[in-house]
Amino acid sequence: MNLQDDKMLQSALPKNEYSRIIRKLGRVVRMTVIYVLLVLLALFLMGPFLWLLSVSLMPGRNIFSSPPAIFPTFIDFDNYAQVWQFMNFPKYMLNTVIITALGVIFNVLLASLTGYPLAVFRFKGKNLVFTLLISTMIIPSYTSFIVHYLTIQGLHLGNTYLGVVLPGAVSVFNIFLMRQTFIHIPTDVRDSGKMDGASEFRIWWQLVLPLVKPALAVISLLEAMSFWNSFLWPIVILNDTELYPLAAALTYLNGQFAYNFGWIAAGTMISVLPIIILFLFTQRYYMEGLAGAVKG
Amino acid sequence: MIKWLRSESFTAWAFMTPGLLLLAVFVFWPIIYSIPLALTDYSVISDTHYVGLDNFETAFKDRNFLISIWNSLVYVLIVPFLQIFSILMAVLVNSRIPGIKIFRTTYYIPVVTSMVAVALIWSWLLGNNSVVNYLLMQAGVISKDIHWLSDSSLALYVLMFITMWKGLGYYMMLYLAGLQNIPQDLYEAARVDGASRWRLIVHITLPLLRPYILFCTLISLMAAIRVFDEVYVLTKGGPGTATLTSSLYIFQKGMEQFNFGYASALGLIVGAVIAVLSIIVFRFNRKGGVNPY
Repeated sequence: MNLQDDKMLQSALPKNEYSRIIRKLGRVVRMTVIYVLLVLLALFLMGPFLWLLSVSLMPGRNIFSSPPAIFPTFIDFDNYAQVWQFMNFPKYMLNTVIITALGVIFNVLLASLTGYPLAVFRFKGKNLVFTLLISTMIIPSYTSFIVHYLTIQGLHLGNTYLGVVLPGAVSVFNIFLMRQTFIHIPTDVRDSGKMDGASEFRIWWQLVLPLVKPALAVISLLEAMSFWNSFLWPIVILNDTELYPLAAALTYLNGQFAYNFGWIAAGTMISVLPIIILFLFTQRYYMEGLAGAVKG
Repeated sequence: MIKWLRSESFTAWAFMTPGLLLLAVFVFWPIIYSIPLALTDYSVISDTHYVGLDNFETAFKDRNFLISIWNSLVYVLIVPFLQIFSILMAVLVNSRIPGIKIFRTTYYIPVVTSMVAVALIWSWLLGNNSVVNYLLMQAGVISKDIHWLSDSSLALYVLMFITMWKGLGYYMMLYLAGLQNIPQDLYEAARVDGASRWRLIVHITLPLLRPYILFCTLISLMAAIRVFDEVYVLTKGGPGTATLTSSLYIFQKGMEQFNFGYASALGLIVGAVIAVLSIIVFRFNRKGGVNPY
C-alpha cells in the first residue's frame, strides 16, 4: 500500500460516515411515510366498525344528538343486554352455526372427494368431467336462484336447513382449488399406501388429506364467511323466521326497529364478532393456503 | 364386472359421484332449465304457456331492464380502480416492517363482515345529520348536508364506493400472495444491473403479477355485474331506478313478482353480457400463459 492510497482512505472515512447518516435518515423518513399510509388506510377500512362499536356502547339519546356523536359520553352495555334479551340471540346464533357448519362440512368433503381423482387418477371420462366443470365457469347461470327455488320446493326441502345449504354445498371453484393442491402431492404417498394394502378411500382420508390442510383451511374459511353472512337465500327458503340465521334476523331487526339505533348497532356487533374472531384464529393457515391456491 | 369394480376408473367415479350429482342438480340443471323456462310465461299464479321469444322481445322494450343493464355496466367501472388500489395496498403491506401483520388483518375485516352489517353501518354513516356529513362540514369540504343515498345522481356511485371499500382487502390479499411468490433474486439481479425502482416495477413486478391481475379482474367483473346484497339492503334500486342493477331487477321479477319465465329470459341476456365481457378481459390478457388457478 503506498502513501497516496492511505491518504485517500483517510479522507474517505468521514465521507462514508456522512452517507451512512443520510442513508439512515432516508430509511427513517421512508418508514414514517409507510406507517402514516398504513394508519390512514386502517382508519379508512376500520373506522366505520370502530364507530359502530362506539355507537353500540352509547346510551339511547346520545346517538341522535346534533352534532352527531362519534364517541360515547359514557360507556354502557345496555344496548347489548336489551337486544340480547329481545332478539333471543342464542337461538339465531345456533341457527347460524348449524347452517355454517353444514355448509363448510359439505364443501370441504365434496370438493376434496371430487378434486382428488381429477388430480391423481387415470380414468376414462376425466377430460369430459373437466370440460364440463370449466364450461360452467364460462356459461354463467344468472337465474340459478329461480331454478334452485323450484328444485328445493320439488325436493320438499323448503323451510329446512338442508334446503338452505344444498345449493351451495359444492362449488366448481373449490373443486379446482383442491385438484390444484392434490396435483402437487408426491405420487409416492399414494404408492406407499397401496403397498401397505390400504384402500383408495383410506389413502385419501388418512394419508392425503392431512397434507392439504392449508387448502382445506381456505375453503373452510371462505365458505364459513359466505354461509355465516348469507341472508337472502335463507329468507327465500325459510318461511319460519325462528329458523333465520343472524344476517337475515338482522335485516328483520332493522325493518322493525329502524328507530332504535343502539339496539341494531349492538346486534350488528354481536353478529360480526364471531366470524372476525374465527378469521383472527385461522388467518395464518388461510393466507398460506391462499398463496398456494392461486400459485397453482 | 368384478374387474371393473376394482379398477381405478370405478374408484374415481365413486369418489366424484356425490359432488357431481349435486353439481348436476344445482349448477348444470339451472343453466339448462332456464332456457325452456325463458320461452314460457311460467309463474306460480297462472297456467303456463309456451310464448316463444316474447319474453326477449319484451325485455328489449322494457325500459327498466335497459336501465338496469346500464347501471350494471356503470358498476363495472369500479373494476380498474379496485384492482389498482388493491395492488398499491399489496405493495404497501408487502414491506417487512414490525406490526405489518396487524395492518394486513385490519384491512381484511371488511371482507369478513356480512354485507348486511356493512350496509347498515354505511347507511347510518351517510344518512342525514350523519357522521360523514358532519366531518366533511367540519373540514370545510361541503357546506350543507349531502343526501348520499337518496340523491339519484349520487346513489349509484356511493354504492360503488361501498362495494370497493368492502372488496379492497380481498384483492389485496390475493396480490400479496402474488408478490410473495416473486423470487427475490430477480430483484437483486436487476438492482446489480442498476435498474431503477420504477423499472423493477414495470419489468418484474407487473409481468409476474399478470395471472393474478387477470384472475382478480375476472372475478371482480363478475361480482360487479352480479352486485346484489348492498343494493338490496341499502337502496332497493331507488331512488326511482337510480340504483336498479340487473340482478336486483331479475330478483324483483322472479322472487317478488314470481314471473319466473320472464326473469329467466332476463337472466340469459345478462349471462350473455357477462360472457362477452369475460371474453374481452381474456383477450386483453392473452399474452403470458395465463393460469388463474
